[in-house]
Amino acid sequence: MYFYRHLCNICFIFSASFFFVHIATLAQNNQSNSFSYGDEIIIGSSAEASNLIPMLSSDSASHEVSGFIFNGLVKYDKDLTLIGDLAQSWEISEDGLVITFHLKKGIKWQDGTAFTADDVLFGYETIINEKTLSAYKEDYFQVKKAEVLDKYTFKVTYEKPFAPALASWGSLVVLPKHILEKEDINKTEFSRKPVGTGPFKFKEWVPGQKVILEANDNYFEGRPYLDGVVIRIIPDPTTMFLELKTQGLDWIGLSPLQYKKQTQSEFFKKNYRKFKYPSFSYTYLGFNLKHPWFSDKKIRQAIAHALDKEELVKGVLLGMGNISTGPYVPNTWPYNPNVRKYEYNPQKAKELLRDAGWQDIDKDGILEKNGKKFEFTILTNMGNTTRIKTATIIQYRLREVGIKVDIRSLEWSAFINWFIDKKRFEAVILGWSIGLDPDQYDIWHSTKIKEKELNFVSFKNQEVDELLEKGRRTFDIEKRKQAYYRIQEILAEELPYIFLYVPDNLPIVSARFEGIAPTPIGIGYNIEKWYVPKNLQKYRIQE
Amino acid sequence: MFWKRFKKNKLAVIGGILVFGLFAVAIFAPLLAPYDPDIINMEQVLQSPGAAHILGTDDLGRDVLSRMIYGTRISLSIGFIAIAIATIIGVILGSISGYYGRLIDSLIMRLVDIMLSVPTFFLLLTVLAIVGPSIWIVMFVIGLTGWMSIARLVRAEFLTLKEREFVQAARSIGASDARIIFRHILPNALTPVYVSFILGVAGAILMESGLSFLGFGVQPPTPSWGNILTAGREYMEVAWWLILFPGIAIFITCLSYYILGEGIRQALDPKLKI
Repeated sequence: MYFYRHLCNICFIFSASFFFVHIATLAQNNQSNSFSYGDEIIIGSSAEASNLIPMLSSDSASHEVSGFIFNGLVKYDKDLTLIGDLAQSWEISEDGLVITFHLKKGIKWQDGTAFTADDVLFGYETIINEKTLSAYKEDYFQVKKAEVLDKYTFKVTYEKPFAPALASWGSLVVLPKHILEKEDINKTEFSRKPVGTGPFKFKEWVPGQKVILEANDNYFEGRPYLDGVVIRIIPDPTTMFLELKTQGLDWIGLSPLQYKKQTQSEFFKKNYRKFKYPSFSYTYLGFNLKHPWFSDKKIRQAIAHALDKEELVKGVLLGMGNISTGPYVPNTWPYNPNVRKYEYNPQKAKELLRDAGWQDIDKDGILEKNGKKFEFTILTNMGNTTRIKTATIIQYRLREVGIKVDIRSLEWSAFINWFIDKKRFEAVILGWSIGLDPDQYDIWHSTKIKEKELNFVSFKNQEVDELLEKGRRTFDIEKRKQAYYRIQEILAEELPYIFLYVPDNLPIVSARFEGIAPTPIGIGYNIEKWYVPKNLQKYRIQE
Repeated sequence: MFWKRFKKNKLAVIGGILVFGLFAVAIFAPLLAPYDPDIINMEQVLQSPGAAHILGTDDLGRDVLSRMIYGTRISLSIGFIAIAIATIIGVILGSISGYYGRLIDSLIMRLVDIMLSVPTFFLLLTVLAIVGPSIWIVMFVIGLTGWMSIARLVRAEFLTLKEREFVQAARSIGASDARIIFRHILPNALTPVYVSFILGVAGAILMESGLSFLGFGVQPPTPSWGNILTAGREYMEVAWWLILFPGIAIFITCLSYYILGEGIRQALDPKLKI
């Protein structure tokens, strides 16, 4: 599974594998004669998309597919600055409150209709409509006025300074007005048959099996070299790996064990290329803070002391990753390395639990308080062996301090829709894929606790609310840094999540693909420039 | 008479000894297991079988032999309890059906037909997906979906036995229906039930392994053969011992139960001459 073009959004990730941003690719004209058109890439994905309208889905499986199909006004460049995508250029007023986008001319939707500023306005109006079930509305509520100046000029005015303003005009908000104007966005067929402006267009979705995309001949940056992209849904990692071995798949995310031990043979060296780079995501143990036990900070801290994060990195990731201490990843500017850390210390955990009134009265090894045993269930998603392994280790470590944990793994969409969105859980192991902008208002602000919103643990902290507000209201990077540093300190103290680890992405791609240019942030950003030399081409699109 | 005939069947005796052996392993698990089955040790992950760990260690450094010994408990108790439930239901419904006949018989037998027409394994998966997996639910659901053949067997015995003289005699002295069913007919109708009980246990163990293998059965860290096998599947290429040994354990157990069951059937069958 990978993540295309959407690094500006936050979303639930199914399993840690290979995420990437879409960044600009320089035309390599001097080599252009060796490029050849044709062939398809078959990608293995462990989860099925839920909804292909980007603003409506908050899972990475959906965003990865819709990322091929849709564009935003802006996108990230290789050095992680913002450059134009559908927009040719833009002007930002002195005070930072007004952005005027000048759109590229001659871009067509995949059905042939011209793309204009009306489509951007339509997308904006859709996402702020109260009926639209989107987790990403907040950024667009900041807009005071959005207007179409002419066919190719779009102007937005903000009431207050808003740091993520420009980045928010990524691919969430551009929708074809001519198709969706009269539809109910929450129920439309379009969510399963999208039409975008991107390099690949939707062809077919066989539920539970695959999504087929084909090259967009009219793509405004030039037709992709590949004829098509097939995303095959294979929930079981072992089956997926076997498919890779028989060369039925061209690109999957490896598990740490597969990376280290199962892909060393000559066969793999000859036929595949492996990559390894830190992901923009982290895995955490989240508590339902509405639950009477977990509402007590002491209990959460005790649990943190009972866990050994190093052990998780070593045992689960086989060392291919880092421990996590907050919602940002190491080596990025908002990351604060000096927050409170909870060393592995079961004795201290027991003391903290005793202070909170939990004692093992009947000597069965499990703590009690007021006649109730300390038992809870950790939910996670099925098919992600890394998370289940993490859960098993956590279960064992908590057992040592007298807490009994059950593990329940659930099918992905049921997990998100019935348990996370409805807040029916005690604790979960999940991952966030995070944006490049440090604004995480949607995850941590106390107003974001409604159904389908992302603060599903119901975290509430006034200082964090204020800092989140402060961090997004200034363009001064030092001031923002201060705010986000402080947020990390508070989160480390309050522990709404226990931040576990930042896994490395471990993609493997068939060696027949050329044009892959690894960067620190990944490989897949330039997939429309990947190609297969004529003599190595394998698949032909059936006419 | 039974013993004499049973002892002559060498294979069945071996099956019996193996079954008893398994029970001994289950009962004395804490004494036999060299390690605590739940101890995680990241220093000893995926070690191949050797002196320290006779059957190697798994992906979390747990001792496979110890986990399998404890897994015996789970597998055997699920097999036994599930089939006990199935047998109780089957015997009661079968007796009522066979004894009373007519409408009651038709109703119960149609229920049997309905239940038989539903593939048990998928019914199990559905129920477990809704209620959530746990050992007790697995036992109950296997029990509740496995009673039909026993009910039919008991009913068939009842149909012939209820016309016999001793039943008429009991009735003529005014014995109640319940007394006739449970004291007079049932003890004579149980022979086929013993056999199907033993064979059923093997089936239930397989069922549990299958469910655990799919992740719907016994949940981690509780070891059962099925879930040791599942955990091992991911490591098939690098750690063969994780799937070989639980596989062998399931195979031997089911085989022992089958030959024991078959042996008992032959020993109890008066028509067979040995």
